Parts: sequence; C-alpha cells; structure tokens
Amino acid sequence: MELRRASSTADVASNSLLLAGGTEVVPLLRAGLIEGDSLVDIRGIVPQGIAGDRIGAGATLAELECDPQIPDVLREACRLAASPQLRNMGSLAGNLLQSTRCWYWRLGKNCRLHRTSDGYGDECFAQEGEHREHAIFANDFCASAHPSDVAAALLALDARLHTDRRELALAELYRLPSEDDRRTTTLEPGELLLEVELAPADRSVYLKAMDRKRWAFPLVGVAAARTGATTRIALAGVAPTPWLLAEDGLDRATPLPGNAYKLEIAQALVRRARRALDA
Amino acid sequence: MARLIRTEKEVEGRYEEVWLVVEEDALQQWPAGARAIVGQPATRIDGLERARGEAVFTADLRLNGMLHAAVLRSPHARARVTRVDLTPALALPGVHAAAGPGELEQLVADCNYQGAAVAAVCAGTLAQARDAVAAIDVEWEVLEPLLDPDEAVRRRELLDEPRVRARGDYEQGLAEADVVLTGEYRTAVVMHNSMETHQAVVQWLGDAVEVHISTQYIWGIRDEVAAGLRLPPDKVRVICNYMGGGFGSKNGPDDYTFIAAELAKRTGRPVKCALTRREENLAAGNRNATIQRLTVGAKSDGTLTALGGDFVNAVGWSGWTSSTEGPMQMLYACPNVTTTTYGAKLNQPPMKAFRAPGFVEGTFGLESLLDELASKLGVDPLELRRLNYAQNDANDDRPFSSKQLLECYRRAEPHWERRHEVRARSTDTVKRGVGMASQIWYGGGGPPSYAWVRVGSDGRATVITAMQDIGTGTKTAMAQIAAEELGIPLEHVTVSLGDSARGPYAAISAGSSTTPSMGPAVRAAAADAKQQILEIAEQRGTPDAPLAEVVALLQDGQILGKGARGPNPAGMQVLTFGVQVAEVAVDVETGEVWVDRIAAIHDVGRVINPLGASSQIEGGIIQGVGHTLSEERLHDPRTGEILTTSLDAYRLPTIADVPEIVSELIDRPDAHLTNLGSKGLGEPPIIPTAAAIANAIRDATGADVRRLPITRAEMLRALREAELRRREREKVGAPAGV
Repeated sequence: MELRRASSTADVASNSLLLAGGTEVVPLLRAGLIEGDSLVDIRGIVPQGIAGDRIGAGATLAELECDPQIPDVLREACRLAASPQLRNMGSLAGNLLQSTRCWYWRLGKNCRLHRTSDGYGDECFAQEGEHREHAIFANDFCASAHPSDVAAALLALDARLHTDRRELALAELYRLPSEDDRRTTTLEPGELLLEVELAPADRSVYLKAMDRKRWAFPLVGVAAARTGATTRIALAGVAPTPWLLAEDGLDRATPLPGNAYKLEIAQALVRRARRALDA
Repeated sequence: MARLIRTEKEVEGRYEEVWLVVEEDALQQWPAGARAIVGQPATRIDGLERARGEAVFTADLRLNGMLHAAVLRSPHARARVTRVDLTPALALPGVHAAAGPGELEQLVADCNYQGAAVAAVCAGTLAQARDAVAAIDVEWEVLEPLLDPDEAVRRRELLDEPRVRARGDYEQGLAEADVVLTGEYRTAVVMHNSMETHQAVVQWLGDAVEVHISTQYIWGIRDEVAAGLRLPPDKVRVICNYMGGGFGSKNGPDDYTFIAAELAKRTGRPVKCALTRREENLAAGNRNATIQRLTVGAKSDGTLTALGGDFVNAVGWSGWTSSTEGPMQMLYACPNVTTTTYGAKLNQPPMKAFRAPGFVEGTFGLESLLDELASKLGVDPLELRRLNYAQNDANDDRPFSSKQLLECYRRAEPHWERRHEVRARSTDTVKRGVGMASQIWYGGGGPPSYAWVRVGSDGRATVITAMQDIGTGTKTAMAQIAAEELGIPLEHVTVSLGDSARGPYAAISAGSSTTPSMGPAVRAAAADAKQQILEIAEQRGTPDAPLAEVVALLQDGQILGKGARGPNPAGMQVLTFGVQVAEVAVDVETGEVWVDRIAAIHDVGRVINPLGASSQIEGGIIQGVGHTLSEERLHDPRTGEILTTSLDAYRLPTIADVPEIVSELIDRPDAHLTNLGSKGLGEPPIIPTAAAIANAIRDATGADVRRLPITRAEMLRALREAELRRREREKVGAPAGV
C-alpha cells in the first residue's frame, strides 16, 4: 500500500483514504473493513490548533481537553473518550467521522451498513442478536449506536462545520441510513472537513456511562449546553447518529429486548445534566 | 534415599493416584519469621532485563531462515468442510508449504467450534502467510450449533458422566433447617488474554526437534510433543526462558506447536506459529461459563444443616469439568452436602484451566448464597463463617496440614469494622457498603521436582533446574532460597532455567505449585552444596570459615549440590485459605459500580518474597475485578459466532478500574509441608474477589446480583428486584383493614 502526503486539497482524489491520527483508519484497513491502494496523509492541509471559536479539524482530542477556551462539555467529552495515547493521536474530524463499533459490522458481517462487491447486506444482525450496546432510538433499519462523545458535545453546542466546499450545522453532517441510501454522513466524495466553529454557551456539561472507568465507548453519553434560555441536549451511543433530544425525547425511545437498561441510564443522566446546567 | 510411594497427585483440583519415587526431605524447616534473605522483599533478579527489553520471549525469536505460519480456522461454531483447495495459497509468492485437513491430527474438516484449525500455511513473512490463508479455496456446510448449556444437559450432550458427590443426609439436613434459601447464579466465559499470545518456534536438528514455546510446563510439552511426533522424549528439547503470562492456558502444546513442527519438517526450516490477538480470543482456551442452582438450609443462628447444588459447566467442545462444586464441598463444616456437576458439551471453543478453575466460579455462587442467608437471618456475615468453620477436611475428616483461616478472619476484623463508616458515607444516589468472602484452594505442590546448585571458587552460586517462570517471579524466589541456605548475598546467585536440555525435571507452573514444588528442591540442593563445603572446611581445620574463603581454594574445582522435592505429608489435606473484604459504591440510578478498596488476607504458609507475594495478590484481585465487572466473551445467540475477539470489544479492566488493594499474609510456615512450609499464592487471590464485591453491593443497596459480570443491566435489574421486594414487604407489613 502506498502512503502519499497531500500538499493541497486538490491532491486529494475523491476516493482517497485519509490519514490524520490514524487511530481509526489503520485498524479498519488492517481488519479489511475498508480497502484501497493508497492512503493520503492530510495533516499538512487540514487546519490544526484552536483559534478563538474556530477549531482546526486536525486538532487532537488531547489539545481540546486541556484548553480552557473550550466549553466544558467538549473538554469533558474529549477527556472521557478513548485513552491518553489515542487522544494524543486522534483528530477532531477523525473522531466525528469514525465508524460504528457495532460488533457485527466490525467483524465484517454482511449487514445493512456493510458493502461488498455484491452491494449492501439486507439484515441487521444486532436486532435479533446481541445488542446490549446498540441503539435505543431510530433502530428499526440499523441498530448501530454512534460512538462519538465529541459529536454529541458539538451537537449540544450547535456547532457549525466548514468543509472545503460548504458550511453546515453539525446536525447536518449525519444522516440515518435507509434502504435507498446507506451512508451515515452527508459528506460528498472527496469533501474535507476543515474547521469546527463553536457558538458561545453559558454553561455546559458532559456525562458518560461506560462499562469500565476509562477507555470505553459510551453506553450512554449526555451532552447538555445552555445559552440564554435555550438548552440543547444531545446523546451519544443511543442511535445510529448523534441524537438531539426533543423535550419529550426519551419517551419516544424504542429499546430492543436486551438494551432497555440504556434508557434508564439516559433518563438519569439527562436529569443530572439539566440539574447541572441549572445549578 | 529414594523410595517408592503410592500417593495422590493434585493439579488444579483434579486428583489422581500415582506411584512416585521420592527422596526423603531430611532438612529441618527454618524457624518462623523473616530471615536474612527469605522473607525479605526482593525486586526481581531479572527485572532490569525485562524492563530494558533485553529478555527474549518466544514472541521475540527470529531464527535464521525462520518461516511464519498462519492458520485457517473455522469461522463457524459448527460446520463441515466440504471442499478445500490449497493450490491458490501455494501459488502465492513466498509460500513454502501448506497442510490441509487430515494431514495432521490437529487439522480437521469437521469443525465443532469456531476457531478449530482446518489448514495451515507457512511463508517467508507473516503477511505472506496470512494472504495465503485468505487465498485457500474452502467451502463450508454450516450446521446447527448447540449453544445452550441447559439444553445440552437435557439432551445428555455431556463431556463425561455427571459428577455426584454427597455426604450425610441432605434431605434430613433440609428438614432440620429453620430457613432454606435457594438461588441461581451465573458466571460468564472470560478469556486469559495473556500479553504474549500462544506461540511456538519449532526447528528440526537431524532427527531431534527443538521447541521454543511460551509455556507453563516445559516437561509436559516435551512429553506431549514426543508422543505426538512419535519420538523418544530425549529427542525433544523445549525452551522457554521468559514468558508473557499463561494463567492456566499454556499447559499443553495445542494445535500451533504441531502445525509448526509439521511445516518445519516439510520445509527444513524453523517455523513460528503464533496466534493473533483475535485467535487468542477464540482458540486459546477460556474460563467456561457456569449456571449454579444452589440451596442452603440453616438453623436460625446460622449453623448450616444442608448445602446442595446443581452445577452446569458450559465446557465447550472439549476440556474437562472443573470443580465448580469444590467450595461448597470443602469450605464449611456442613454435615449434609450433595452436589451434581454437569460438563455441557457445546459447539464453543474448549475451556482451559484459568487461575483456580471452578473455584472462582463456585466461590461466587456459594459465598453470595451464604451472604444472602446471613442477611435473611440477621446474622453478621463474618460470624456466620466462623460459626461454620471446618476443623478438619469436611469430606473424609483428614486433618489439614495447616489452616490459619481463623487468623485470617481475625485480621479481617478492622477492615470489616469499616462498614459502619463506609455505609454512613452513602448519599441518595450513591450507596456504599462492605462485603466479604472466604477462599479455599489447593496450592501445596508436590514431587517430583529436582534442582542442582553449582558453587565456584568465586563464591557465587548458580541454581540449575529446567523449570519455567510463568511471570510470577519464582526465579527470584528460588535465588532467595539458595542464597539463604548458602549464607551468601542474593546478588551472588543466578538461576538457570527454561531449557529441558539444561537442567533436571521441574514441576508445572499451574495449581499454585511452582514455589511449593520447586522451593524445597532448591533448598535441598543448596544444603547439599553447603554440606560439601562444610566438609572441606573441616578437613582444612577451619570449620567456621566463611563459605567464600573455603571455596576460594577450589580454583577450577566446583561444588555440585543436588536436591529433590520430598513427599507431601501422608494422610493430610494441604490447602490454602484466605478472606477478602471489599468496599464498593453503587450509583443506584445508573447502575455504575466502583470498587474502592479490597483488603486481602491469605494464608499460604511461609512467604519467601513479600514483594512478589503482594504483586501476586494485586494481580489476582485486578483480574478478579475484571471478571466481576466488565469482562465477558459474547457470542451471537443464533449462530454462536464470537463477537468479542478484539481488546476493544472484550473489556479488560484498566488501571482506572483498580481499587486500593491492602494485602496481608499470615506468614506462618506449614509445619508438615516440606523443608520450607510454603504453599503457592498464584491462584488464591482471585478466588473470593467476585463474591466479596457482590456481597458489598448487597450491603450497600439490598440488591442481590447473581450474574457475572455485574454489568449496568444486571445491577439495575437487581436494584429493581430489591425495590419490588421492599414494596411487597411494606404491603404485607401494613396493618390489616387499612
């Protein structure tokens, strides 16, 4: 396999595999879940670092977790993600674009999100199978749970994204996969995430339940941010995309037989997050 | 003098009667207490070479011309290979040889578990070998797997006849009881996940074979490889200088050693066959799941009148039915006990011994049930255990060679007393509590085992024995014993081990037996050398001269001492004991459990190296916390396919999950056991951890967790059940007519 270093966005062909921190793309390549002949190192062309309300897509999670300008919800989401080693390498954009942790997908089972030469599969193995870590919302087509703590934090902050082609709200980055279109993001082929733009928040908080104390994806992550009279709450680990919660949102959950406990956890953490914002 | 005896040999709780030639153990034990070197904390004598990366593990070996093997393993829980064609693999660059089903015994076409080896390839690089395995043209007929252990029992799909053990009159015991409690407890499949995966490098040297392997039992590998290859045992040399963990899973040669041997024979080159981390999570063994349906009957003061259990071990396709009933049979002085243990034969990867197999699972069930009993009766759990203390072996009334469990209980008191203060720190949402559990296990070791000690004119000594250090630091303990006996500094002793061609037979490092088996042989060898040096000093007319002065006369002469492990005490039961006290906090809204502190008090006779001993206790408890809270091998309920084959899906504890660990050892020599009075400590510390945590959760919340691991789902379920019970009680307790 070839490793190339891009010197401008024009160097990035639309079907390129991109390398920034490498903590996601390298394991996926090694597991055979994605394929390609060349890997393009984009660290030279993607903005790094933090400047006011703008964060470079190449900033590492480790930078964000220790910068006092960053809102609490995002700092805490970074701090509770992965391990220190992974946070030192993993980039912000890479975290937002990571693939599901659904074990069926990660094992290469021919599921609705898994594409082979014959096209996509037509079954969600988790729905009838082992789904304790899976989605409790929007799980009728694909029960995968979105693993990004950071995405939930940015969704609660109503962050905006700048790509090499357009500007969009973070919520618009994600889409629920469907029979006709299996993609889970709206990025076009070759489109590069360049910057994240934060809106100010008066107060914010991130609470995370995981099955050990560190280095685990969220069973439930609750991100909450208050700006003036507006409170936004977003959840990680509960739906195939980061999940923005409506006022009565938890009542509309559709847990599977083996993951109703996640709803209980979500109820408790949402209650605590609201209390923390009011305190 | 050597003598022939008929004796019971115990490994991992399994007994067999064997004839043994043993040598008398004539040495007196040292008096109790720490000595100049033995009983003093010693850092590992090979610590620096390990830390610097200089220690060469099997995984580090790169022999000249070495080829790498990769194995095609069944992706299905049950399937038949209907067609296999190795030609596409053999056509790829770098590929030297390939073998398919039936070409050696370990490669099969009928696959009865995921991970069964079907074909193997060797190539110049590991990547080439893996590509070649992927290129093998294979067709499977997928068959319906049997996955449910209860269903296997119903269908009599069992590994062996159900094991029934009974004493007294169980029904009568239940009739005499004031209270009878039952409970169903479940434990999950957990994985060893040793840092160094299972692997071997095999090369043929003429008609002899050299096996470098990460193993717990050099001599067992020698015998099994010799039998498998139909060679005289002396044509097999086994080498393991350093190993990265085993926990019971590396006692035998498995498929990979024979695959490497066959491919090495075909190519005339050394071949390495190393399991990947994913293969390690499939085909390297596991602690089997259990279902335990338990009953206890007791008088209202807590005196046990009956204990009964049906134990279903979900063994997998092969292995053995470990002693899940052992703690119920052995721990307490209950007169009426009946147990039945089933080994369910399933289309799942075979179990292997895993750090106190059976007893970890069985102690969780029994000690949880006893705690539920104490709670029901309003009896202090520590008092309940004292009340039912077994003076002699409960099954055949044999005396224990030594038993300091009451002293363990006494030393547990200050930790147990903390429960009032711990509970008082509870809040509305975070409840705190303290729980305890007892430990019983083997760990006496046994003969045969041999060691030599060589002393040169420089006054330095080398201990020579073909044992292995599984990673517990027994190499350091052996050096301490030799230095103590010879009266020379620890730095003047080196230990040569890990090579069947360079030393005498040594015991398996399993069943907490390395130190109690090897230590007495090393001491006997050092004493033999010392005696010879004393005789020289007497001939010289300076019987009190220091060792260094006497041996300085030797020039190229050397003193060669030899020693053997003597017999275990006849008619006695040699066991280890202990107790652990856990402090936990439970978030009753989210089901999160924190283990804050575990105090571990164990009785393993004389302690050789207190630093190594506390490391063993810490390691056992950390592994136990993992089994209790987060580790679980998951499979798809329909196909049996294993879902947790990587370390992000299989959740080992991180350092953030580790509680404060307070370790104490009673450190009283077992007066009946060998010239050392030492027992093993590898396994005891993991045994009571799960039950102590579960009992602390009960103390904190009133909830009975009955399934390991205690996931959020299980914790929340138990809390809901406890809440329903509380409401029921309130309803029943309400005044009539209201």
